[in-house]
Formats: sequence, C-alpha cells, structure tokens
Amino acid sequence: MTYSVIGRCRRTGRLGLGIATYSLAVGGRCEGVAANVGVCKTQAFPNRTNDPLGIKLLAQGYGPTRVMEIFAGNDAEHGFRQVAIMDRDGRVAAHTGPGCRGWAGHKEAADCVVFGNGLLGPQVLDAMVAGFLVNPDDALEYRLLRAIEGGRDAGGQGPADAHRTERSAAIKVVDRRDFPDVDVRVDVHETAVDELRRVLEEFKLYEEFYRGRDTDPSKAIPQDVFAKQLDARRVKEPA
Amino acid sequence: MTFTLLARCPTTGQVGIGIATYSITVGLYCTGLRGNTGATMTQAFVNQGNNPLALRLLAQGFAPEHVLAELKANDANHEFRQIAVIDRLGRLAAYSGSKNRGWAGHVTGDGYVAMGNVLAGRPVIDAMAKAYEGAAGISFERRLLAAIEAGRDAGGQVGNDGHLPERSAAVMVYGDYDHAELDLRVDLHDEAVAELRRAFEQYELYRGYYKERARNPKDAIPQFAFAQTLAQAQEATR
Repeated sequence: MTYSVIGRCRRTGRLGLGIATYSLAVGGRCEGVAANVGVCKTQAFPNRTNDPLGIKLLAQGYGPTRVMEIFAGNDAEHGFRQVAIMDRDGRVAAHTGPGCRGWAGHKEAADCVVFGNGLLGPQVLDAMVAGFLVNPDDALEYRLLRAIEGGRDAGGQGPADAHRTERSAAIKVVDRRDFPDVDVRVDVHETAVDELRRVLEEFKLYEEFYRGRDTDPSKAIPQDVFAKQLDARRVKEPA
Repeated sequence: MTFTLLARCPTTGQVGIGIATYSITVGLYCTGLRGNTGATMTQAFVNQGNNPLALRLLAQGFAPEHVLAELKANDANHEFRQIAVIDRLGRLAAYSGSKNRGWAGHVTGDGYVAMGNVLAGRPVIDAMAKAYEGAAGISFERRLLAAIEAGRDAGGQVGNDGHLPERSAAVMVYGDYDHAELDLRVDLHDEAVAELRRAFEQYELYRGYYKERARNPKDAIPQFAFAQTLAQAQEATR
C-alpha cells in the first residue's frame, strides 16, 4: 500500500517524485529519478532492479512505453508490480498489475502520473491530481507535496474500516545536475506526511545558505550563527 | 561540522557510510556510493559535483590518490573541502583541507576513513575508528552505526557556543546491485543519531519481509498482518 506521484515542471524541466506509504524507509527505495533523463518508480511488490534499469533504458533513448514492455518481458512477476515512467519530455507510461492488492490504479494528468495500491478508492488519486494542479506556478517539490497531502486527506491507504497511516514518505527533485536538487525523507514516523512538510519547509529555509556556503566558502557565516538568525526571524514573524 | 565513517567492508566487499551532522537532511549529500566501484564523500564546505565525478573516475579505473588529486585540481575552493575516496579493493585517500573550520581531521585504517570537522577534537574520530574496528564480527551496517554513536559519545561537534547537536544522520550500504541495500535517514531531529538507531532497529525487523515480498509476491502476507505478528512477538518476549 503506497501512493505516489511523478511529475515534471514544464517551465524548468525539473523532474521529481513524491511518495507516501505504510512501509518503512520508502525514500531509500527511490533510485529512479535522474536529471535530464526521467523518472521511473516501481512499487506494490517492487522489483528493485526495475528502476535503475528503466533509467538506463531511458538514457539510451527508449521511450516510456517501450521501457514498460521491456519490464514486462524481463520480470516473471510483472503482474504484481505497479510502475510509472516519465521521460524528460513528459511522455509517460503506467502499469498497475492485476496482482496489486486492495484498490489499485493510476491516473495521468498534465505533467504528472499518480498511482497507488491498497488505497481507499479512486478518490485518493483524484485528490492527488487536484493537489498537483492547484498551484502550477509553485516549485515542483511543493506541487508533489500538495499531491501527497491531497491523497492523505482523501483517505489514503486501507479500506474504510482499516485505515493505514503513512509511516514513511519522501520527495525527490532533480534539476540539471547529477545530484538531487531536493531530497527530503521521513523514514519511521506515525504521521510521515505531516512530518515531511515540516522537513521540506525547514530545508527550504536552509537551501540558499547551504548552496552559498559551498560555492563561496570564504564568505560563509557559521551555520549555528545562521540558525540563530533564522530563529530570531521566526520569533518576529510567527507562522 | 560533521563526522563520518566511510568504508569498504573487507569481508563482504560492500561499501557504506555512517554520517551525522548539525546540518539538516545530510543524506541528500551522500551520493558517493556504488557497488563494485567504491565510496566517496565530500563534506565540510561541500562541492556536490565531487561525488558523481569521483565515482566515474573510480569506475574508469583511476586509483583513489589520483581521484583525490583530480578533485583538488578541479576546484578552486578545495582547501575548504574534506574528502575521502575508497576503491573496490579498499585502497583509499583522504584529505582535510586547511580551511576546514574548528577542529578537523581524519584517521584511516583497513578500508575505512573516519573524518570530521568542527569537532570536539581528535578523540572523536579516534573513537569512531575504534568502534568500527572493535565491532568486527557484526554486520557492516551495525559497525557503521556503532562508529557514529561512538563519535557522538566522544563529544561530537563543538561550535562557537559549545556542543552542537546532531540534527541529521544517515547510514547507507551498497553491495552487488545498483540500488542501495540499506539507505536509512533521519533528516531533521534534535537527537538524530539516537533516532537513527531507533529507525534502524525498526527497519531491521522488516528487511527480510520486504525482500521476500518482492521476490515472491503471491505468497506474501499483508504487511499489516506482519506488523501485528511482530508486535505479538515483542509482547511475548517482554
């Protein structure tokens, strides 16, 4: 049981993934996000070798539809996997195997695919799409987070009489470089999506400081000094 | 302000990292591990381009000393960086630039580097090395965890106004595959090393289940049922 969104920012070409699930440490199983290449995520009963393979195939020039066919031919248990693929141009392919448990499905919309299994129902995916589309000018990481939050608020995982909380969640966004632009995680938590927003918002406060410190170290103020300035600002402008 | 144990396990050939720092979301920067290739980490004032470049140079066959020399030659600010490079044979090179802040240094042993900056002092990295070596016989990931716990217990990081807490931490291991065998993080917490231990012990209980469920989906029991079995077993041993 998991619900995920893969997406692309049309303005910047940034690519990303947002995911929330009952399983622990899901962010540690999200290798398939590559700058200037695409996004590939396998879940439900995941085949861990799919995502690295998918990225390599996309990088070689295969389209998402063909990559999915290759997955089907390469994996005897393809019917138990749920897979979404997007290339750098925004072309997509999605697959929800009949072996996925509970309510399972996927949905394509502008610049995104949402997909999940073990869910309350299709309203979870509808709410995820709505979340992704609500502020199209926002940075991709916030659009992905809005999608996940939409999924959570629409009931998330489990049938009505057996709701399952999100115990881990993650957001990953790549830009042009071959290391992630944003990569925030919650690995073991009782309300992982709430905690993921807290981590992402804190990360965004530090993002510029970290970049500046690394590109121009001689001018960097110590981080504990920066943290104090941040806290002082927080007192002045309470959330 | 970070302390790190980067290593290649001489028994399994796996490569891994244990890291803790005052900075948040440190796991984002740990992009320097690849099975059958090596391990590398740039910290202090990070150059994020270093890890992917170093891995490619290792994959091309360059030795760690040469890779380190290339990273320095390619970066006008290299004196601000702290860098470790280990290849698939366990050969290694390490560097603590002269412009790292606070107490900064590294110590090396059989296939590993313990390094840190803005630390309480040399005892921190010595304690990490000792814990990593002393834990021989237990799993590689537990040795990495033991190392960062020892670093914390030896005083960890010290800033302008005294001790700095670990706000993020991570432990990662790569083996035969091009995906991680273990990739566990705490991104924002007041006691990130303690929280990482808690997360690790929880995750350990599920690791075999996740692996088997992926390999043989049709016979897998639901995860919630598995979690209930775990809870009952824990109750019974209490």
